[in-house]
Amino acid sequence: MNPVDFYNETLTSVPTEHGFYPYESNGGTALAIAGEDFCVVASDTRQSNGYLINARYAPKAFKMSEKAVLANSVFAADGNALVRRLTQRIQWYKHSHEKEISITALAQLVSNTLYYKRFFPFYTQVLLGGIDESGAGVVYSFDPVGSYGLEVCRANGTASALIQPFLDNQVEFKNVQFDDKPRMTLDRAICIAKDAFTSATERDIYTGDHLEIFIIKQDGITIESYPLKKD
Amino acid sequence: MDAFVNRFKGSSTFLADEISMLDGFGSYDAVKEFSQPVFEIPAVQNANCTDEKSDSECRIKIEHGTTTLAFKFQGGIIVAVDSRASAGNYIASQTVKKVIEINPYLLGTMAGGAADCQFWQRELGRHCRLYELRNKERISVAAASKLLANMVYPYKRMGISMGTMVTGWDKTGPNLFYVDSDGSRYKNDVFSVGSGATFAYGVLDSGLDYELSTNDAIELGRRSIYQATYRDAASGGSVRIYHVEKEGWKFIGLYDVGKLHWEYCGL
Amino acid sequence: MEFLIGITGKDFVLTASDTSAARSITVMKSNEDKSCDLNKHNIMLYAGEAGDTVNFAEYIQRNVRLYGIRNGIELTPKAAATFTRKELATSLRSRHPYQVFLLIAGYDITTSSPHLYWIDYLGSSAEVPFAAHGYGAYYCLSILDRYHHPNLTLDEAKGLIKKCIDELNNRFIVNLSDFKIKVTDQDGIREITI
Repeated sequence: MNPVDFYNETLTSVPTEHGFYPYESNGGTALAIAGEDFCVVASDTRQSNGYLINARYAPKAFKMSEKAVLANSVFAADGNALVRRLTQRIQWYKHSHEKEISITALAQLVSNTLYYKRFFPFYTQVLLGGIDESGAGVVYSFDPVGSYGLEVCRANGTASALIQPFLDNQVEFKNVQFDDKPRMTLDRAICIAKDAFTSATERDIYTGDHLEIFIIKQDGITIESYPLKKD
Repeated sequence: MDAFVNRFKGSSTFLADEISMLDGFGSYDAVKEFSQPVFEIPAVQNANCTDEKSDSECRIKIEHGTTTLAFKFQGGIIVAVDSRASAGNYIASQTVKKVIEINPYLLGTMAGGAADCQFWQRELGRHCRLYELRNKERISVAAASKLLANMVYPYKRMGISMGTMVTGWDKTGPNLFYVDSDGSRYKNDVFSVGSGATFAYGVLDSGLDYELSTNDAIELGRRSIYQATYRDAASGGSVRIYHVEKEGWKFIGLYDVGKLHWEYCGL
Repeated sequence: MEFLIGITGKDFVLTASDTSAARSITVMKSNEDKSCDLNKHNIMLYAGEAGDTVNFAEYIQRNVRLYGIRNGIELTPKAAATFTRKELATSLRSRHPYQVFLLIAGYDITTSSPHLYWIDYLGSSAEVPFAAHGYGAYYCLSILDRYHHPNLTLDEAKGLIKKCIDELNNRFIVNLSDFKIKVTDQDGIREITI
């Protein structure tokens, strides 16, 4: 190749940077609490972009199977893309194995799905709540690239730093001095979830509008809705 | 231009059409055999979105910060780790399992990116099981650790962060290796990895003796991690201890640092 | 802060490499062997980017051995150095070049002569009577310029290496505690102590 051609071609074929950033933070909060035989997954439905509220009802939590609910926060587009991918894989699993996917398998599937995009991650924090094979409530939480662990309770999203310490204290009884710690009942879990969200709505601009609570029990999933402040 | 690029876009080590001396050998590559990417690497490389080294204000926070240690002594190997995961300055979890049970006789520890360690050590576990099925015998720790090093080496400089110790007991006895995402792999009697490693080393090196009794060795590991959590803000939670013996590893216990503190104060 | 050195003598090459493996400010290991035997009469010393060094060294070592097995003739020091240099030159033009610094020391049994090659990651290769890599080179090369001669005996060479190490221990800010010393001659490669 002629050195002059080489030089010219290099000049014209150099990529130009436009400062494109493929991510966005849409705010929102989700929490999950595991009980002995149930699991509660709650999330608000507000979707924002900076100071602008995009939508007052844009759910973040989705039913993935008869015994699992997945909630994601931070970047809504990636969250939705992840849910679509998983929904398809879950259906695939159902047809090839002729059974519903267990939550343990689902957790590993979520982890791998996230890690397969390790070099262009889904910008989302994932919570997976449900009932395991033995009928016990479980919560798994994931970081954006798929590291995960089993938990008792967990808050994700913009108000996570406000809610998590409250859950640690009220659900896991961290740093309490008394011995007779009440059992975690479904009613108590729902109460805690409601309190967490009404309080978070007061202090976090990205949390509000509606609260959606998924209750996962052995006999199925029910959804309860509550209003949150709209300001 | 294309011709120029094409000449160099093949293997980084030699050009396929110019092999004479390496003819035939070129088709076998241990790295390819064991670590064909399990996924396509996308054209858009946003490694900098997750890499804290190249971008201190990286938007995607990945869990980081750790103290882990392992050392050999007369009774085998003690592995001790903390349990904190921090994402930026937020404590993401106080209950992380940083010892990964690869199989009943192999342990891996976790420092650096939590997902990187979890994913690749799970992949290692799969390869070790396949080795077992193919060869009708357990894989040696040396081979297992090299498998891990070879798996992550192709991803060098792409933002993966993993500092791990692979331990276990094989035909040659207790073994301890350090493997990281740079591709380094070292064999030694003592290792500590993570942001609190310097603090752990201080206590560990000064108290280490090969002839230590098992209980004393466990106590040394526990104390070293405790002192690291005391000085390193990114380490904390609980101390998790494992003992590697001839029969495989054994879980010793989980000790809340909050309680250990008062214990060590003599209260 | 790695250090490699090699000295040719009358009928041998003497090499030394430091033995510490460091990650950022921590010494992970203090008895790491940074050399490998390419074949019976050739040693390769390596330093540089963590991970790249061992990976590249093992790749070269295995190919040099394979050549010996295939052809029944071992590569001479010059052939080994030429092959290694070319691999580095090719790698340099790839997306992820190996960042390694090498010394290849060998005894050519066909001509009964010792050879030493200084090679860097850019693919420069030079045959030299003595060579060093790392900051240590700034202290040692002048010593070797002053005292080296082609008819060096093994004892003299040992003395020279000792002079170099003593100077490092005196003047160099980093403590390189221990060195692995090897010699290659008519009888092959062996490790020695000074």
